[in-house]
Amino acid sequence: MIESAEVKDRIREYVLEEFAKTKGINQITDQEVLTKNGIIDSMGIFRLVAFLEETFNVRIGDEEITHDNLESVDAIERLVIAKAKK
Amino acid sequence: MAYVLQQLLKKSAKAYPEKPAVWARGKSITYRELDERSNQLAHLLRAKGVNKGDRVGLFFPKCVESIISMLGVLKAGGVYVPLDPQAPADRVGYIIGNCGIRILITNSEKRVVLTPETLSTLESCILTEGTGDGGELIEWSRLAEFPASHAPEVNLIETDLAYILYTSGSTGRPKGVMLSHQNALTFVEWCAEEFQVRSEDRLSNHAPLHFDLSVFDVYNTLEAGATVYLITEDLAVFPTSLANFIETQQITIWYSVPSALMLLLLHGRLTAEKLKSLRIILFAGEVFPMKYLRQLAEVSQNTELYNLYGPTETNVCTYYKVERERLASMEKLPIGIACANTDTFSVTPEGRLAGKGEAGELYVRGPGVTYGYWADEEKTKKMVVPNHFQEHFDEKMYRTGDIVTVGDDGNYYFQGRRDSMIKSRGYRIELGEIESALLSHPGVREAAVLAVPDEIIGNRIRAVVATHISGSLGVLELQQYCSARVPKYMIPELIDLCDELPKTSTGKIDRVKLAAEPAAVR
Repeated sequence: MIESAEVKDRIREYVLEEFAKTKGINQITDQEVLTKNGIIDSMGIFRLVAFLEETFNVRIGDEEITHDNLESVDAIERLVIAKAKK
Repeated sequence: MAYVLQQLLKKSAKAYPEKPAVWARGKSITYRELDERSNQLAHLLRAKGVNKGDRVGLFFPKCVESIISMLGVLKAGGVYVPLDPQAPADRVGYIIGNCGIRILITNSEKRVVLTPETLSTLESCILTEGTGDGGELIEWSRLAEFPASHAPEVNLIETDLAYILYTSGSTGRPKGVMLSHQNALTFVEWCAEEFQVRSEDRLSNHAPLHFDLSVFDVYNTLEAGATVYLITEDLAVFPTSLANFIETQQITIWYSVPSALMLLLLHGRLTAEKLKSLRIILFAGEVFPMKYLRQLAEVSQNTELYNLYGPTETNVCTYYKVERERLASMEKLPIGIACANTDTFSVTPEGRLAGKGEAGELYVRGPGVTYGYWADEEKTKKMVVPNHFQEHFDEKMYRTGDIVTVGDDGNYYFQGRRDSMIKSRGYRIELGEIESALLSHPGVREAAVLAVPDEIIGNRIRAVVATHISGSLGVLELQQYCSARVPKYMIPELIDLCDELPKTSTGKIDRVKLAAEPAAVR
């Protein structure tokens, strides 16, 4: 069973390194809405989902790729934890 | 017949005062409210010194206030300049300086992004949301102090400018395409006729407002007394949410770049049921791969599909109504024939009109064609040229830079570019602008930017960079450096570092060789 804190750290690190930093954003909070400043765009969202599926061994369906599930590091962590429990 | 854009609103506000005109982020405003708020804003702008022809910038994410602002500026006699809310401060600052914006409509969150130098050039900022300190700030609630029942008296004619749209420029700085009321209305009137937009229609607005696709969404809505639904980033990024949005809002007319439609097809769980309300799908900005167009046609059996073509300088100038019976055998989608009140022809490198099947550069003339680029006479002279096919009076025509052929079916077919402009997600990108950004880094000796074809988004961007000192620069550092200079969609996704770029025998950078080398895997 993966620890919640560890999940969050890995998600934050990935979003920061893969998306935010390349766009000149060096800091993000866990509540920050990732689509708002274009940190994650319509192509990036699928790279993020592929990362989550691979790293946490979960399956995320197209219907689950929504704003509510993926809007922030906090939201993504909730989704991954909920999935991992199943 | 309307000769300035705001007359479209006046007519519909009279006919449908209580009908919703604009919807965004769960909030909507009626035609009456849109008319009154934009009247008030126009008076406020006049009070702040906005005169006929003055540029007013719009710098905030899409919302109902965006449309109020566009109309308010026009009613004040001004020219609005929509600025990409996600663009780096340096680029926004350049545009503000380039076209001399003194009054900016923004919000408290976006305003603080601007550099102190940019802020010091502004006389006042009107905030659609929030408050702040420093400089003259006018809160949105102040609109209430101004008359709502009528717009200020301004003597505008159709050849006056309405808005300036900035696009990528090959020499490293964006260029401002000047569009008049007549330019916009030529297109809007053609659309109204061709697509028979009605007051019952519900149009989506997928494109950003600094992108010319939005001209149709906004002004054809106002022309018909219809409702426009602004698609914001929280929806645009998530295909299933977007598909559900089309269904629940009963959208009847959709207009976007093909890549947005492709993402819907691939990940939106589209069904015929979800698209039932759509009567027209328009797409423009890039080539729609036939494979995906066939899939789209399959799930939208009762929908008319149109491929629209045209650079910002002409808005749409040719169109092709998809013939469903030809889809199975068609290898390439045509860009079609000229729109009403627009003339197009293709010219060979020798300067004569191209014959059937012969490749030539597409030229456009008519009332839809731009005057040129703001404060850039040189570039204007290069692109908006005298029509030497017309001997009896002076007339201008626009050279698109697009190479086309005319097929046996009488339609134009896009074949490629004359220069190094590319498209990615429908955005125009001058590779030279990205090269300039990279070269401005003190550690960069040489840089070449290449397009890597991509099935969904058209092109991805790859840069090959030679540094002064080997190993002195990292990929991330260069991406961050670019992010402060160019919009996000222009930041190279892939960067290969080397000590020297390959050269041709004449000493030029060998782009053919670079393109043949596989991009480094990240």
